[in-house]
Amino acid sequence: MKSHTLTLRTPSTTLRLLIAEDLSVRLALDLASTRVRAACGGIGTCGACTIQTVNGEFSSTTLTEYQKISADEREKGLRLACQLYLKSDAEVFLENPAPLSNWKSFDLSAWPSYNYPAFDTNNLYYGIAVDLGTTHIRVSFWDRKQQKRIACRHGNNPQVALGEDVLTRLDVNKQRGDELQSLTQIIRDAIIQGVHDILARDIGEIKSILDKVGMVSIVGNTAMLALLSGQDGSQLYDPLNWEKPIPCIANDMDEWKQAWRLPNAKIEVQAPLAGFMGSDILAALIAIDITQHSEPVMLADFGTNTEIALWDGAQIWLTSVPGGPAFEGVGLEQGLSADLGAIKSVSQTNNRFDLEIIGDAKAKGFCASGFVDAIALLRSNNIIKLSGRFAEPSPDGYCLHQDNIKTAIKPADIDAFQRAKASTAAAMEQLLVLADISVHNLSKLWICGAFGQHLNLHNAQITGLLPSMDCSRIKLFGNAALSGCEKMLLDPNAKQKETEMRQVTRVVNLTHYPEYDDCFINHLRLKPFLGDK
Amino acid sequence: MFETYIKDYNEAVFEIDKEAAIEVVEKALSNGITPEDIVFKIVMPAVEDMMQHVLNDLDTNLAQHFMTAQIAAEITEKMLLQFSEPPEVIGRVIIGTAFGDLHSLGKRIVTGCLKSMMVDVIDLGVNVTSEEFVNAAIEQDAQVIAVSSMMMHTATGEEGSLAVRDLLKQQGLESKIKLVVGGSPYRYDNELYTQVGADSWAPDGITAAKIICDLIREVKKS
Repeated sequence: MKSHTLTLRTPSTTLRLLIAEDLSVRLALDLASTRVRAACGGIGTCGACTIQTVNGEFSSTTLTEYQKISADEREKGLRLACQLYLKSDAEVFLENPAPLSNWKSFDLSAWPSYNYPAFDTNNLYYGIAVDLGTTHIRVSFWDRKQQKRIACRHGNNPQVALGEDVLTRLDVNKQRGDELQSLTQIIRDAIIQGVHDILARDIGEIKSILDKVGMVSIVGNTAMLALLSGQDGSQLYDPLNWEKPIPCIANDMDEWKQAWRLPNAKIEVQAPLAGFMGSDILAALIAIDITQHSEPVMLADFGTNTEIALWDGAQIWLTSVPGGPAFEGVGLEQGLSADLGAIKSVSQTNNRFDLEIIGDAKAKGFCASGFVDAIALLRSNNIIKLSGRFAEPSPDGYCLHQDNIKTAIKPADIDAFQRAKASTAAAMEQLLVLADISVHNLSKLWICGAFGQHLNLHNAQITGLLPSMDCSRIKLFGNAALSGCEKMLLDPNAKQKETEMRQVTRVVNLTHYPEYDDCFINHLRLKPFLGDK
Repeated sequence: MFETYIKDYNEAVFEIDKEAAIEVVEKALSNGITPEDIVFKIVMPAVEDMMQHVLNDLDTNLAQHFMTAQIAAEITEKMLLQFSEPPEVIGRVIIGTAFGDLHSLGKRIVTGCLKSMMVDVIDLGVNVTSEEFVNAAIEQDAQVIAVSSMMMHTATGEEGSLAVRDLLKQQGLESKIKLVVGGSPYRYDNELYTQVGADSWAPDGITAAKIICDLIREVKKS
């Protein structure tokens, strides 16, 4: 499919986006930081998404547009963004963008498509799937009768303001005591806001739709699910609970449903596997149907904590290791989420580093995939050594573009990356040892989570983040946990599968394996590991 | 020739290149250098050297810190088996991670540094109770108990270092067994060790090993 560059101007900002010919301007902007106003699902009935074309070639005016936009306005180039497609590079002006929001759509084009069997929804047509992470929340809204996804959103977990990692937030929770409810409240409010954003923009009604929601399925890490269900998470302090299942059952379910205005819905918080192993990883395993594979396969879900699963044909070996914030982009000196201005990839032409920046804006910092590229290129150019140190002393780091300090990679960033990648690489190696499988016998490796769809596999291998197996066997699958959560929401057979998977899962706590520490230290160097040959 | 081994070994450690470090040692052995000289004249000075770097050069990274200790411990253990007479051990330490805490890397670094300084280390692992710490110290005749905590609540908790101090006090062992602590909470608050009843603390593995050696000597003198 052909793509064209759209230059979008608003009274306050300018944005450049690459848009495929079959994507409407509205949907393309939904993925970016500046959205058009909207109150219908992009079918032209609300007329809120007017936008002014300035130059370029566009799809022809539709009947809906003739009805919604006066001849005068059409003369001035006004169109409906939901009806507008690019036929060449073009420029548009948006006078009244939608208010800034925590919520954005995301691209699911790389997702596998499932055909869910139709089932009787008892007139409760709608269903909601939620992946509740430490840093991000992802929501998708479904018409269960037509088996159709209406829309999806991701936004930040507002608890981030109270601490970047889980333990800090549990500490805050402990200190707050009486205010315990508020942390639960913060997260519940955030999720339902994401749902409202979908309803307001993609359907145009809220109350009547909420009445017809029959099911909400929520996966997430254990601490977040404990807080969501109104517990203080104190069980997680006791190491004895780390390997045990922790129930996350809300005892205020009626109030909760009332607060969300979902009178007819069943809210299912999917039970975590153990104290340090949430139901998000379980959902990711359901998404790839891990136990259906006849050959060994592995899945790594990168994030603040990185979970790694290995299927050996009989058991799922599962572990979790700290990734630190390095993989979420947020803990680095110039780290960012994958938002406007984030460097999402870096390449090299002769002596110049070329940056691909989200929204084609001025670089504001690195998101995780751009950061991996930068380290790999600095390593390949011998600007940093195998040890992770700069070849020439560089306390201020190295700027990929000398005129922009936001493109700097600092020594402390590399150090944080080395530890994060060493802990995951060592965990992969340890699970393979425990299951007695060698890397060339792995038929597939799925990379889920923080890197999304942008990770350059070759660069990841140069730094020793991923094993040096043939890249054709490595699959990127961002948002796998949400995809699995949707299966739990929509596939009547998913419950059975989930129960079976829980039975064959063997949770491994690597702190019980002294050799893991040695393995971790050996993986600190920035060099490839576990090749096929 | 000997100077070359020292230089090559230091460079390998600095570059966290374990294979290269081991290669240097093997080459030295095959050329007639004694295991004793390897430990005392190559490995130990390299640890000291690294300490200077950690203290003075803000550019050293944690990876180097981990690796120095690991290489030193691994080589020292190998060499000890080949010593012509059993080496003179400075003293003995009981080390472990505080109750409720499963982080093992910090104490591992300290252990590595201690071993290369000829201190006998007994590692009780992670999630260790105060009774286990104190009983092991009595049974093994250790001069120091080292408690590692990587989380604030296990550093200041009532079942961690504070409980070890209580037991030492109750049993009148305070002059015979010293208590040291380490881990990230202490790096944020350099006076925290006094609040948890410890005699001392250190910000890194190599300094920790030095402080522990001093305390062992202090106990042995009294």
